[in-house]
Amino acid sequence: MDVLSQILITGLTLGSMYALASVGLSLIYGTLGMFNMAHGLFMTIGAYASYSVAMAFGIPLIVGILVAMATGALIGMLTHLLMVRFMLGTADFGTNILVATAGLGILLEDLVLKVYGGYPYPQPLKVEGVTRIGNVTVTYQALVVLAVALVLILGVAFLLLRTRFGRAIRATAMNRESAMLMGVKADTVFLQVMALAGMLAGVAGLMISTQATLSPQMGGDPLLKAFVICVVAGLGNVWGAGLCAFGLALIEAAIGYYFGVRFGFPAMLMLVILVLVWRPQGLFGRETVVRL
Amino acid sequence: MKRFDDLHRHLLIGLAIIALFALLPLVLTQRYLLGEVVVFFIWAMVATNWNLLMGHAGVFSLAQMLFFAVGAYGMAMGVTFTGMSIWVAIPVAAISSAFLALVIGMACLRLTGAYVALLTYAIAEMVHILIITDTECFTMVRNNCQQLFGGATGFSRFDDFGFRPLLKGNWILGNYYTVLAAFGLTILSVVCIIHGRLGLAFRAIRDNVGYASSRGIDRKTYQIAAFALSALLTGLAGGVYAAHYRFAGPSLFEFSTLMFILSMVVVGGLGSTWGPLIGTGIMMIVVELSKEMGDARNLVLGLALIVFVVLMPRGLAHLSTTFARRLNRAGRSGKKKSEP
Repeated sequence: MDVLSQILITGLTLGSMYALASVGLSLIYGTLGMFNMAHGLFMTIGAYASYSVAMAFGIPLIVGILVAMATGALIGMLTHLLMVRFMLGTADFGTNILVATAGLGILLEDLVLKVYGGYPYPQPLKVEGVTRIGNVTVTYQALVVLAVALVLILGVAFLLLRTRFGRAIRATAMNRESAMLMGVKADTVFLQVMALAGMLAGVAGLMISTQATLSPQMGGDPLLKAFVICVVAGLGNVWGAGLCAFGLALIEAAIGYYFGVRFGFPAMLMLVILVLVWRPQGLFGRETVVRL
Repeated sequence: MKRFDDLHRHLLIGLAIIALFALLPLVLTQRYLLGEVVVFFIWAMVATNWNLLMGHAGVFSLAQMLFFAVGAYGMAMGVTFTGMSIWVAIPVAAISSAFLALVIGMACLRLTGAYVALLTYAIAEMVHILIITDTECFTMVRNNCQQLFGGATGFSRFDDFGFRPLLKGNWILGNYYTVLAAFGLTILSVVCIIHGRLGLAFRAIRDNVGYASSRGIDRKTYQIAAFALSALLTGLAGGVYAAHYRFAGPSLFEFSTLMFILSMVVVGGLGSTWGPLIGTGIMMIVVELSKEMGDARNLVLGLALIVFVVLMPRGLAHLSTTFARRLNRAGRSGKKKSEP
């Protein structure tokens, strides 16, 4: 029983961070058809920005979250305005944008390294203390991570399902041309999606840094997991990505507990490949008929 | 005069390039510079194969350095653990790399496009993580713990090509010509693939998957073949690398190394024949310069990737062909004007 609740708590904490990262990634893919290799750096920069502000002004965690959100959104918008905008609609967009965002990723990582150095800092924006649920020790920080992720993901769900702005995003994702014919300004939608995804990534980065430390490479590992989550859910499926994030994190936690942490990700990946052999379009992806 | 077809023309260009490099040591005698040319050979082999896979067969794989590493590790492990000759270990390593590609290809190439890129990247990264977190000793070498896959430090100080006792001070020349042979083999085979029947099939798939498969060219089969072939030659490059440097370690898996090679392919021109060679030369020089101006390697790599993809997605090779065509056309129209 204790083992089970321990796995459950680790899995849910991991899952909330993965969900924040992969929902944004999936949202971008669904709307722009672009895979953002620089998403990990959006996370890193969100974490470092809140670290810097916290060191300078000693702000509470809630303000730190706002700072991370704002920075992430800014980076997302800049990426769109300075790079993605010029590539939309060109030949081989899907692969070229992968190369370009990978380049952006390595560039930003080097910038972070130059500004802050490679030394891993502890994140000051952190709630101390532990509580006990049954016989299992739970840090308050883990509960904060879970709460923040739930609030943000529900917020995004509300935005997408209940607002005019969300309807425009969903329409563009379904069919860009018809949405434009119906008067949706696709350019604005793209900018909004990049801002929204960047915002989620920024918070994800802050949350991840409270569980480990800040380092220029900190975005790499969660990005990799977010990739796998998005692929297994079906690229561009936002709800599937959220669900798969929790599902795979629970599996990773269980395998990490029974076989050792280093096998958590490999086992997860094997599972994903098996799933894809069975359903190439992903668990939640709809089978599409492609005209050749 | 008989007109050459594409295959023969490019084979002749390839032979000319190899001959040029074979004569180079006559003028270039500094050991440092010869070493740099050897590095050029190795990276050019990897870039050429990646271009074959990505630019021609349309498989957007990010596991290129994985196959390079399999070649390097296979060769290092063969020499360290079984004591086999280096000349046996390199082909064995290259073939195991191709087999691994066959397995990964059969799993990943059911998917297409970005899915393939993400899965291959995830697999390469998984292997990287498993290798560096391995702490169990497999054997003891010189009283040091030696993990089965080298752990976080990798393999070093094993046998090299064995030219040092043979050629004494000129041992670099032995390495130079051995790597040149591997390089020559690679570029000639890749030219044969690109401009032969396989290449035609690749282009048919790239241009129209539906039509190609209705004529009996199955996308998956041909892409798996391309994956395995390119992994074989990349593994060869890896084996030669390990033998030249007497090193194989987890640094081969680093993201910046992958981006370095990717920038060579992109700058040179995806889908061209000789672009990767141009790109390798240029990027090596640019990175060398950027290292001197403070450690700006990754900044320059990132910038090069973005600038080329946004402004010149078909690379320098395309630029030079359009330039040649324009020159040709200008020359022809000039002639027409001169003869009324």
